[in-house]
Amino acid sequence: MTTLTTDAAPRAAGGALARQRRRTALLSAAATALLVALTAIGLGTGEVPIPPLDALRGLVGLGDPGNVMLVQELRAPRVLSAVAAGAGLAVAGAILQRVARNPLASPDVVGVTGGASLGATAVIASGAPAALTSPAALGGGLLAAGLLFLLAWRGGFTVSRLVLVGLAVQSGLAAAVNLLIVRFPAELASSALQWTTGSVYGRTWTEVEAGGGAILAGLALALACHRRLAVLDLGDDSAAALGLPPHAARSRLLLLAVVLASVAAALSGPVGFVALAVPHVVRFLAGPPTAGTLALTALTGAVLLLGADLVVLHVLPVHGLPVGVVTATLGAPWLLVLMFRQLKPTAGSATR
Amino acid sequence: MSATTDAHQLAAHGLSLGYGGRLVVEGVDLTLPGGAVTAVVGPNACGKSTLLRGLARLLTPAAGTVTLDGASIHRMSARALARRMGLLPQQAVAPEGITVEALVRLGRYPHQRLLTPWSAADQAAVEEALRRTGTQDLRDRAVDELSGGQRQRAWIALALAQDTPLLLLDEPTTFLDLRHQLDVLDLVGELNAEAGRTVVMVLHDLGQAARYADHLVVMRDGRPAAAGPRRTS
Repeated sequence: MTTLTTDAAPRAAGGALARQRRRTALLSAAATALLVALTAIGLGTGEVPIPPLDALRGLVGLGDPGNVMLVQELRAPRVLSAVAAGAGLAVAGAILQRVARNPLASPDVVGVTGGASLGATAVIASGAPAALTSPAALGGGLLAAGLLFLLAWRGGFTVSRLVLVGLAVQSGLAAAVNLLIVRFPAELASSALQWTTGSVYGRTWTEVEAGGGAILAGLALALACHRRLAVLDLGDDSAAALGLPPHAARSRLLLLAVVLASVAAALSGPVGFVALAVPHVVRFLAGPPTAGTLALTALTGAVLLLGADLVVLHVLPVHGLPVGVVTATLGAPWLLVLMFRQLKPTAGSATR
Repeated sequence: MSATTDAHQLAAHGLSLGYGGRLVVEGVDLTLPGGAVTAVVGPNACGKSTLLRGLARLLTPAAGTVTLDGASIHRMSARALARRMGLLPQQAVAPEGITVEALVRLGRYPHQRLLTPWSAADQAAVEEALRRTGTQDLRDRAVDELSGGQRQRAWIALALAQDTPLLLLDEPTTFLDLRHQLDVLDLVGELNAEAGRTVVMVLHDLGQAARYADHLVVMRDGRPAAAGPRRTS
């Protein structure tokens, strides 16, 4: 029963599914190459420039000891945080949009980023050590997710209830964050505001290892669960008829998405637009969602966040801008363009 | 038409179904013969679709049970049930942009386990489902671009790829023009005649029910007013 599909291959060469598979593989290879290149540039650029290849070797501990120290101690945590957070946010957004059956769903809509911001802001406000900011953000995000689950659960999650309760949770938390920021001394407020816009400044290896590991595990789980996601896309009745209890599946996938988003927010702050826009960009480039496009979503999110952070660090004349400003500035017009292009040909299916 | 058997026999025992405390179907005792085509008919709001949803375990009964070959379906695992019973829901909406083949492949879900690769048996079942429903030529087309009749055949192909001896269809002909209605019903007849599948379908047209079903259940006010074999005079 479990023999591999060697004899199913003959017609696969020309089919739409095979074409999409090839296209996705090609795009993934391109995104991987771009990610490696950006990583090399990110590790190599700074006050002491290092050639890209030497920078990559320095990351794994090879080459000139001075370079190794510079790359590993100073630059790698920031670069790797951007990569992990970008991948985590994008995949969290993709899962949320499908589970909530809402193309505008993102961690902002289900309260996770609000919770993470509140956690981090509270730590900054209390003057506690900076090392506590990330754990507090993670805790805040998970707490917000718990609140959402508690308030939206009525023997199951209906899609509309989830989105409405999520928005309510997010608004409440955002209000609390604003209250804290307004009551701060000006310099603390500025640092809190910086965090809530999203920034990968000042990450440590401990945070990168814990956060990156969790995000990698989450991505693997998301890929392994992709069939469930695809079956759930058919609607609750069809999913149940195919042997997938929809409410249980929805809560598990939702849990996976909020954990990914919380961990990512702990690494990078609630960077805007990555979770919302990347799934749409990938859909535009690679077609309807498959396990392959989910992997591409992770790669694209990493490329986008790392690229935006490099722009913040090395291209913009203003120093110390949070990366969230760039992702939103780049993401917003592009998303608008995609929307206009997508709306035109399929005007008939606008009812969904 | 095909002979009825005891295998793949679905039965309701004192089955009551409802939504939020309001009962729509009350105390139904019903045996649907295996290997036959049963049509459930009745006026609007008589509970016929609710009955089908209860039989398919989409609704948890307020009282009573549903059994498949004598065993309660409520005690089976979701996957085990889905390997024996397929369903075409009313007004199913395909995800945007999904191709017919990608849709039909999802019918193999109950036969797959986490991380098992797509098998030759899976592919064979998909090919057979596409062939049976005449959707091979549509396999690369997006489902949301198809006509109503083609779309309905793609959804039936999904249920066929599930490869279940029992097939439930909730108003399979609604929203189709007459010619496509008859196409779909002919297909249902063939599925029963060739593979001996047990078919239970909700229809709103009594004439079509009388023509295509071996067995009729007439619902009225949440109860079967009459049930029995079609008279062949």
